[in-house]
Amino acid sequence: MSAILTIWGAYARWTQRWPALAAFVPFVPLIALWWFIAWLQIFPPVFLPGPVEVVQTGWELTWKGILPDYLADSLARLTVGAAAGMAIAIPLGVFVGLNRKAHEFSWPILLFFQAIGDIAWLPILLVWFGFGLTTMTFVIVYTVLFPVVLNTVLGIRSVKPELRRAAQSLGASPTRILFEVTLPGALPNIITGLRNGLGYGWRALIAAEIIVGTSGIGFLMFDARRAGSVEEIVVGMIVLGVLWYIVDSWFLAPIERATGQRWGLVTS
Amino acid sequence: MAEEAVTFSPVPYRRTWQAVKFVTPLLLLVVVWQVVVSAFDVNPRVFPDVATVLRAGWETIADGSLAAHVGASMLRVSVGTVIAILTAVPLGIAMGVSKGVSDFLTPLFRFFSVLAGIAWIPIATLWFGYGFGAITFVIFNAVFFVVAYNTLLGVSTIPMPLRHAAASLGAGRWQMLTHVLLPGALPNIVTGIRTGMGFAWRGLIAAEMIATNVGLGYMLFLARDFYRTEVIVFAMIVIGLIWLTLDRLLLAPLERATVERWGLVQRT
Amino acid sequence: MKSLALENLVKTYFDPYRGLQFTAIRDVSLTVEEGDFVAVVGPSGCGKSTILNMIAGFVPITSGRILVDGREVREPGPDRGVVFQSHALFPWKTVADNVTFGPKMRGVAKAERAKIADEYLALAGLSHAAERYPAELSGGMQQRVGVVRALANEPDVLLMDEPFASVDAQTRMTLQEELTRIWEERRPTVVFITHDVSEAVFLANRVVVLSKGKVLEEVDIPLDRPRSWDRLVEDETFKALSNQVLQLVRSA
Repeated sequence: MSAILTIWGAYARWTQRWPALAAFVPFVPLIALWWFIAWLQIFPPVFLPGPVEVVQTGWELTWKGILPDYLADSLARLTVGAAAGMAIAIPLGVFVGLNRKAHEFSWPILLFFQAIGDIAWLPILLVWFGFGLTTMTFVIVYTVLFPVVLNTVLGIRSVKPELRRAAQSLGASPTRILFEVTLPGALPNIITGLRNGLGYGWRALIAAEIIVGTSGIGFLMFDARRAGSVEEIVVGMIVLGVLWYIVDSWFLAPIERATGQRWGLVTS
Repeated sequence: MAEEAVTFSPVPYRRTWQAVKFVTPLLLLVVVWQVVVSAFDVNPRVFPDVATVLRAGWETIADGSLAAHVGASMLRVSVGTVIAILTAVPLGIAMGVSKGVSDFLTPLFRFFSVLAGIAWIPIATLWFGYGFGAITFVIFNAVFFVVAYNTLLGVSTIPMPLRHAAASLGAGRWQMLTHVLLPGALPNIVTGIRTGMGFAWRGLIAAEMIATNVGLGYMLFLARDFYRTEVIVFAMIVIGLIWLTLDRLLLAPLERATVERWGLVQRT
Repeated sequence: MKSLALENLVKTYFDPYRGLQFTAIRDVSLTVEEGDFVAVVGPSGCGKSTILNMIAGFVPITSGRILVDGREVREPGPDRGVVFQSHALFPWKTVADNVTFGPKMRGVAKAERAKIADEYLALAGLSHAAERYPAELSGGMQQRVGVVRALANEPDVLLMDEPFASVDAQTRMTLQEELTRIWEERRPTVVFITHDVSEAVFLANRVVVLSKGKVLEEVDIPLDRPRSWDRLVEDETFKALSNQVLQLVRSA
């Protein structure tokens, strides 16, 4: 017992000094457990490969250049789609959020199209555009669009009326109020929307790559599925998880915290 | 304060009025759809008119195929979600009781919750074969990790004074669980269920396109094979309506009831 | 700083959820001379905040007129500075940027704005907090920033809506003394809304008691200045005036 406490204490001290450690160390026992179960061969290796085989396969795929190429493809699609989605979504959200009539009219429509869900669009997009980049880009734009629009609208409408009043009685014009008060006030929500949108967006990308199937991590995984190579599937999953974990916890979450917490807008 | 009653009393009609305001824009959209399709003489392969879609819809209702597809999809969603909630909530609470344990496990659950859903389709089909098992597994894990992570988050954010208060009022372990931990984490749990089901619903459609021969996703994909655009559009509308109903009439009110009533979280 | 006049103000609301017509303000007339300090007190729901919101231009008036320096006003404008109960500081701007928001809107150059920030932050004793964000300040400091933000825009009239209601009792007394000191130094025209009778008597030259949307009585406060709590807390005139106003509010 005391040995466990000593280890625990050392871990607590180290993570205090390097908080980044806390994001990695918990994976060590998990991987050890995985290795142990695979080593026991409770499940046949065709179903559950060990970590060593997976790392080998991953290294092979990297070395052959397949993994970097596919990863670059997936990331490029996601970036283009997300950028286009935001470019449409934020102005639209601002307009709908500021205009009561537009809000009443478009809210049910926005909710309905969000409810259809990106992936359900794939078949009709395939009819329209065939198997190709247009279809995938459309799906990602569509996926990113709605969470960002809906959250922008929420953010704009949740800006406290006193802040607008304060700006008015300090002599700010409507344009100045938009840029100095309304948009900054909605920013935490916009970022939350972006975070959700990207979360849905890359899932949609995986599905699109599986179904449309030309290149990308999703294609890699499904191709491996057809060939029965479980190691490659696991490599794909790990790459996806690590990638998204990095983007989300080192990039999106800090921005969300920096705006929300320092400004005291987010209480939880 | 002087109050004078006036004859106009809109209270009893408020709910109806809200429903009318919600449905009107959607009906307008249908009108626009019909007008655009007939005005520009759109090829029915690209986008059919309202009547064609209704006819196709009626056919699928009459021959019972719609009921079969919807039934299969709903069964998978219900089974996967119920199992996930029943396992994730106790696990999340158990892990959240100690701050050290929850800090340690948080990165693991974040990793798996960002991976949840679609990314598991290839390996799920390998493990369970094509069909009910694989799809239900995808739904289960989309909901499971998100709910477990949110429960963990919920329990660890319950203010310590609340636990101390319960303890000094004589609450035992079991009472602490049922009267403090579970209700305290409930808003987060409900949010987790809502987010997780969002991922699950998309995962369901994607998985059904790939790995089965019955279900809404399959219905969509089958129609694509025969270029039956009217069936695709009808299925998309059905998917949108089902999710809108689930989300707005079941999940959102549940979330509002817990989150807003108790004033635990100020952000929506 | 200029004078303020309210002529026969009326405000009625329609509450669509209850289907009822309210009369919040019925026929209020009031004149505040240039450089005067008027406090408006009354029980909650007497319409005192409605009056302030109408003067500020936040809610439309049903009938009557509001004149600032002889000009009729209907919209919000920089001639009427407002201090809010919930401080209403911009959370994404530093203290200094909050204080110079008004001058920035008027197009004052950056160097000049820095001088304004220095001057007004010194006035409130907040020079050390210039680069902090509002969420990082205590409630008392937030209200101080709210007051100097309104002052830094040099309004004709300063409108204060229960600005000290949500801070603790100790801080409130300090803030009241600071506001008195600032007023005695600069003599702005102030309308101060509060439900705290001793606060009204301590700060104002004249206390207006409001009841059921009407002016019940106006009480002059001929206490000497400079005022401080140390001196006034045992002062017989202060006690008598507070008591008189309190009786009026309670009868209201």
